[in-house]
Amino acid sequence: MRRLNFIGRVLGLAAAGLVPIAVTPRAHAAPGGLPAPAGHADSSPEWDNLREKLFQARPVDATPGTVQIIAPLRAAYGASVPVKIVSKLAQTPELYVKRIYLLVDKNPSPLAAVLDLTTDVGQADFETRLRVDEYSHVRVVAELSNGRLHTDSRYVKTSGGCSAPPNREALNLIGKTLLKVPGPVAMNQPTAAEVTVIHPNDTGFELNSVTVMFIPAHFVRSIKVSFAERPIFDAELDFSISENPTLRFNFVPHGQGTLKAEVEDTKDGRWVGTLAVG
Amino acid sequence: MPRFFVTACLALWLAWLSPAANAAGIPAPYAPLVVEPIGVPARYEFDLTAALARARRENKRLYVYLGASDCPYCAKYEAFLAQNAAVLVPHFAEKYIVVDLRSALSVTAQRLYIRVGERSLPYADFQRAIGDERARMLVYPSVWLLDQDAKPLMQMPAGNGTFQTVPEQLEILRLEQ
Repeated sequence: MRRLNFIGRVLGLAAAGLVPIAVTPRAHAAPGGLPAPAGHADSSPEWDNLREKLFQARPVDATPGTVQIIAPLRAAYGASVPVKIVSKLAQTPELYVKRIYLLVDKNPSPLAAVLDLTTDVGQADFETRLRVDEYSHVRVVAELSNGRLHTDSRYVKTSGGCSAPPNREALNLIGKTLLKVPGPVAMNQPTAAEVTVIHPNDTGFELNSVTVMFIPAHFVRSIKVSFAERPIFDAELDFSISENPTLRFNFVPHGQGTLKAEVEDTKDGRWVGTLAVG
Repeated sequence: MPRFFVTACLALWLAWLSPAANAAGIPAPYAPLVVEPIGVPARYEFDLTAALARARRENKRLYVYLGASDCPYCAKYEAFLAQNAAVLVPHFAEKYIVVDLRSALSVTAQRLYIRVGERSLPYADFQRAIGDERARMLVYPSVWLLDQDAKPLMQMPAGNGTFQTVPEQLEILRLEQ
């Protein structure tokens, strides 16, 4: 056990860039040891495995036109890669995006988020920030109310997103849940909003440089958003979401009401944020 | 025992890095415009005014490299540039003036200033002023791609580990996002 702990620590240090580990060259390695070039629409062994586990033999349609993921080829920081999911489909009772899966193929825990949506989202667009641990595809899969699956992907070049030291300046505010409606409120129309939870979202792979111990995983696992007691979406999250998890979303207000976000983390911390709208 | 091994690994890592920890700056074939800091040691101020004026005269962009003399990752990148100069220099020279800001790891974000004309800003304020997301943390080395008005041509990553192959360096020069 002690030996395993040691190996884990050394591998963790390597992940943090602190210990060089000689990697056996593979045929597809690019010069410099970086991963071989990949196209945005390419598959990966991790995705092939995930797709089978999540969706079994169901077809996943990658034809453009239903859902799109927008992410930079390189981000400022691997621990905070901005991603935007754009739905090309209006949320109507007849046909709507029922569930969104957000994945990072090569992360230690690839399933970053699962969002269960209602038609009260109005427009199933979401923005958040992801930790991306190494060169990897980030993917979205949209499950429609008719059961069909649509996907899009982008290849992101970055590293160390899961082992980057977190910002620990506001631990006294942990759990504080902030809701914002940045623009004008449009009754009966999709209205943009944002929820942010102040939280380090520790991955378990970050090293405390003083103790040389890993900071235990501690992250937001669920955010449930409602307006006027009507559910908008439920998000099941993982540590692949960046610290201070933020989701930008839409909702359709039909009158005055309270926008509410209920938050839970992996240590059973529970918080609620509210915002009067209208 | 594990702590001993970890310490040993860290020592090995430092030993591994130390031979490369003497960064000399951008290699000569790139004809870098070297900018030495002024105000040392209280602060390290790098003035981009002359580089921007030259960019306007020559109708080119700036490839601004901030390296530290004692930074192993800077030395690694500079060695990569030196090894691949024959291929890369024509691509740099076509559109860019390479600007080499010479710093040191001891120079933190609070002491590092960037001047453009009459305005001199500490690192984080400069980054915020130009809309660069890397305001939170100064990382050596850093690269900015700037137009003739000191506006970023694209958001660059912290560090340069993602463009140390020839194809990826060319991606950066082509502003692929």
